[in-house]
Amino acid sequence: MSRKWSRGRWAAAGALSLVAVAACTPGGGDGDGGEGGGEMVWALGGSEAQPGRVHQQVAELWSEQNPDNPIRIEILPDEADQQREQQALELQAEGSNFDVLGVDVIWTGEYSTNGWVESLEDVRAEIEEVSIPGAVESATWGGELWVAPYNSNAGFLYYRTDLIDEPPTTWDELCEMAIEAGQQEDIGGFIGQGSRYEGFVVNWLEYYWSDGGELYNEDQSEVVFDTDTATQVTEWLADAKESGCLAPGFNTATEEEARNLFQSGDAVFMRNWPYAYSLIQDDQQSPVRENFGIAPLPTFSGEGTISALGGFNNAVSAFSDNKEAAKEFVVWAATNEEVQALLATEASVPPTLESVYEDLSDDPVMALLGEVLPEAKPRPPAPQWNNISVEMQRNLFPAYNGEGDPADASQAVQEALEGAVEE
Amino acid sequence: MAATTTDTGREPGVSGGADRSGGPRRREMSETTLGKVFVAPAILLMALVALFPILYAMVLSLQAYTGRQNQGWAGLDNYVEALTNDRFWTALQFTIVFTVTSVAAEFLIGLGFALLMNQAFRGRGVTRASILVPWVIPTVIAAQMWFFMFNVTPGFINNVFGLGDFSWLGQSGWASFAVIFADVWKTAPFVALLLLAGLQTIPGDVYEGARVDGAGMFQRFWYITLPLLKPAILVALLFRTVEALRVYDLPQVMTGGAFNTESLSILVQQYVVRTPDPGLGSALSTITFIFILGVGMVFVRFLGKELVIGEEGR
Repeated sequence: MSRKWSRGRWAAAGALSLVAVAACTPGGGDGDGGEGGGEMVWALGGSEAQPGRVHQQVAELWSEQNPDNPIRIEILPDEADQQREQQALELQAEGSNFDVLGVDVIWTGEYSTNGWVESLEDVRAEIEEVSIPGAVESATWGGELWVAPYNSNAGFLYYRTDLIDEPPTTWDELCEMAIEAGQQEDIGGFIGQGSRYEGFVVNWLEYYWSDGGELYNEDQSEVVFDTDTATQVTEWLADAKESGCLAPGFNTATEEEARNLFQSGDAVFMRNWPYAYSLIQDDQQSPVRENFGIAPLPTFSGEGTISALGGFNNAVSAFSDNKEAAKEFVVWAATNEEVQALLATEASVPPTLESVYEDLSDDPVMALLGEVLPEAKPRPPAPQWNNISVEMQRNLFPAYNGEGDPADASQAVQEALEGAVEE
Repeated sequence: MAATTTDTGREPGVSGGADRSGGPRRREMSETTLGKVFVAPAILLMALVALFPILYAMVLSLQAYTGRQNQGWAGLDNYVEALTNDRFWTALQFTIVFTVTSVAAEFLIGLGFALLMNQAFRGRGVTRASILVPWVIPTVIAAQMWFFMFNVTPGFINNVFGLGDFSWLGQSGWASFAVIFADVWKTAPFVALLLLAGLQTIPGDVYEGARVDGAGMFQRFWYITLPLLKPAILVALLFRTVEALRVYDLPQVMTGGAFNTESLSILVQQYVVRTPDPGLGSALSTITFIFILGVGMVFVRFLGKELVIGEEGR
């Protein structure tokens, strides 16, 4: 008992306890023991990872075709932060339980900097050729490809066809229509993701980008944040809140609150992801199920459209015992037409393979995605993205709610962005 | 306690035991030593489970991190960073306001419930059970439920009271109110339960005697119930204060920390999980730990005194 423990031993004990925690995740830790071959584990979360859903079908498809290296899904929690934490517990301990990782578009930089994922530079050409540019961008950090694109996402403008003839092309126009139609019908105007969380940052960036703003230069080495544009955009949002353009409850709404409001006929416009389309259409109780349409998001100039890119990609764990097969799998999932089409047809999960959108142009959601995705921008997948995002939430959220100065908020965001480059 | 309330229980302490056994002194000593040996494994296990993480967090709090990568020792830098950060003070302020108001309200309501449940009336069993329902609901679920109740969509509370589109969670002040309200709803029954247990230890003949002496209802409450209930009150306040100081789930689910409803635990969680800086996160959690420990010690001090005084007075 009196034996002194070196720091290394303490670290080892800490690592051991981390492994123990990771091993407690359901189904985890049943080692396949094999050196090269054997079953692989794909760690991802969300509703589509559940038994019978589309990611499981993809895994089955691979396992049928590759009986030597079948793959099985380890279902992680629904919430993105919790998925990241589960993966981090395993990877921090250099555990080999996960071979393929479902990596959110904003984690690329963090994972590569931590040395948790294998570089995919040697298969880059193959992937880049067929994938949506924005998705490849979200998979790249420091000029190197770290993850293989798998599925994507972009924001739509949902509008009421019974109240609006032509969807607006500028945000100002949207507000005019929202106020007018909203007052006429005694319902809310525009609803989006205005609660203080990552979704608000996504919404705010769409306003900011659509006014010509940028965060970083091409190779993400320099901050090109425009504080004037940022201040203008925040002021516009604050005015929109004051004037009644924003529906009541905008500043506490996430995706689901927004969808509920719009689906029950209490809003003229909604910014949301494609998933809401089929849910509203299939809701027999909804008064709007036959009275809504989708359009690209407006901009401030009225030209083009811009959306923040979502989705997640697949990475090969740096601690996998089966890297070769895992790499084959992620490339296959990114480039195989059958897999990518399955995502679109089975689950309305937007694929990253460009050709799928041409094949499925009869489907309104896929057709609009085909139009919007080439213009979609990823949030910078910097290692410090979470820090930047938290600072944006802390400063921009009070500013648009009349509890902070928009110009000061822009200044704080600028500093957060610069802090991330310096590190 | 109940086991020692025999005649000899009046004089607690080592001497009582020694008198009773009456054996040679040497044997007494070895029995104590033997007792220590028997207790040792349990204490060791507890130290391993409870003490190790605390000490490990303190060690971590003295180290510098970039993201999750250890950069060596940092001295007290993390503490300086934590204490000079506005966010820490805002979070501390909310945590204290939350604790003081919610514990005060829970105590008053809980005491009312406890007095009610202590009366003999028809349907007392049903009342007791139904009062406890909020406490049985897991906090995250209660928080999500109250989010739906307060939020503009679907807006149950606004519908019931005809408040239109009043945004409870979307403005400063009212957001804190909503979180505190939900906490009071959730844990007042717990306080009631603890106080009820205390009430039931007060013998009925004390009240009878007082009534014979002509004491009114309020006099009986003030001079008998409250003093005799003091130990139970202190236990309830201790439990609730310590728990309220480390509140996480209610504000996290209901507001996400918006509109100055960020508690210390939310801040700690952010630095440990969301924007990982284990050094700063551990420093914040150590500060929180010391703060809560301090408040807890104050209570225990009062509690210890009360228990002793209560014992002598009997």
